[in-house]
Amino acid sequence: MKHLPKHLRPRWRYLVVGLEAWPDADISRGPFQREVWYAAQNLLGDPGSADADLTVVRFRFEEGTGAAVVRARHGEVERGRAALACVDAVDGHPVGMRVRGVSGTIRAGEESYLGDAGGFGDESTVELANDGATGTGRRRRDGAVDVSTPSGYVGATDRDTSRPGRSDPADDAASDDN
Amino acid sequence: MTATHPGPYEAAYAHPDGDATAARLAQTARRYGYDGLVIRTREADVDAGALRERYDVDVVPAVEVVAGEPSSASGAVGNFRPDFPLVLVRGGTDALNRFAVEQDRIDVLAAPLSGEGGFNHVLAKAAATHGTRVEFDLGSALRESGGQRVRALKGLRKLREIVGYYDAPYVVSARPTSHLELRSPRELVAVGSQLGFEEAWLRAGLAEWGRLAARNRRRRSAEFISPGVRVDRCEEDDR
Repeated sequence: MKHLPKHLRPRWRYLVVGLEAWPDADISRGPFQREVWYAAQNLLGDPGSADADLTVVRFRFEEGTGAAVVRARHGEVERGRAALACVDAVDGHPVGMRVRGVSGTIRAGEESYLGDAGGFGDESTVELANDGATGTGRRRRDGAVDVSTPSGYVGATDRDTSRPGRSDPADDAASDDN
Repeated sequence: MTATHPGPYEAAYAHPDGDATAARLAQTARRYGYDGLVIRTREADVDAGALRERYDVDVVPAVEVVAGEPSSASGAVGNFRPDFPLVLVRGGTDALNRFAVEQDRIDVLAAPLSGEGGFNHVLAKAAATHGTRVEFDLGSALRESGGQRVRALKGLRKLREIVGYYDAPYVVSARPTSHLELRSPRELVAVGSQLGFEEAWLRAGLAEWGRLAARNRRRRSAEFISPGVRVDRCEEDDR
């Protein structure tokens, strides 16, 4: 079909979304898009969901961290933001999400808000300082550590964890000074 | 942010009640734009000073008393009041809700509409008199679905009408149990707006945690005698 004349084409805004999940979560674009639509439909209803027209146009997720660019109609950004906030799990994996920024073009959004790649730096057995549970800890670049304990994952930071027999949290903290 | 206009605070559950440690919650809260974080879990053993220095977030150790009936809640409140700047009581039954709003020493009635609990004009008036903040739980709007969510939203609306009419004090929280359940203040405001809340009203509710914490810290300091009376240094002229 012939393209619409420019003044009749919908105007879009692009919400750049930061995503986070436990290390074992494997999240792909299709299920994420489905959850976004569900969330929009449940919160805004069919008419509101159609108005906001939330479409995932860019998606990247690996090793517990990801980002997406979600398109929303101009003037529907706040409703889109509300719907996105209600996405609490994808394929049964709990996800944390936050709108990092909104921009008028995909490229501007990517350049301004898609900086850090995330991913895990190293993996080792760590001990949680608070209750002494040990497990495999996967450390992210920003100092966050996801510890796999018998009762499930615990989100910690390198301040909370120590490697048994090697160091205590105070030693880990000291390395932050330089 | 100045002391009189604190920024948004969130009140979360830390490990072992939740799935993230206080430090991880503080780190995420800072990234999401919160000025402060209340830790509802007594067992979390929070080193607020260290976390504040490291993540630049005002971490407030608190206790959320979960009890079956007012008499046991009363004992717990008495035990924890001296040690924590914030004391919350989780509602859930009519008796507990009533008990919480009629006590000056309780700061927040948490989740008043959870379980069997109800809320009415009598409780709102008592909350206004005794200064107990009534919590608006946006968590069910974020994480529940279907009939449970509809019931929760219905409850929020009713609570808003009653609390608004009597001008009772309130706080707003999403009650996150991990860093993944945290949502930024802007997201909470966007969701709240869809539920019929006003933006300024929501932001005031998020900031109220910080105001409460600051007030209680002042009261716990050695200079405080009673409201309006405090020990001050001598003015130079008096010497």
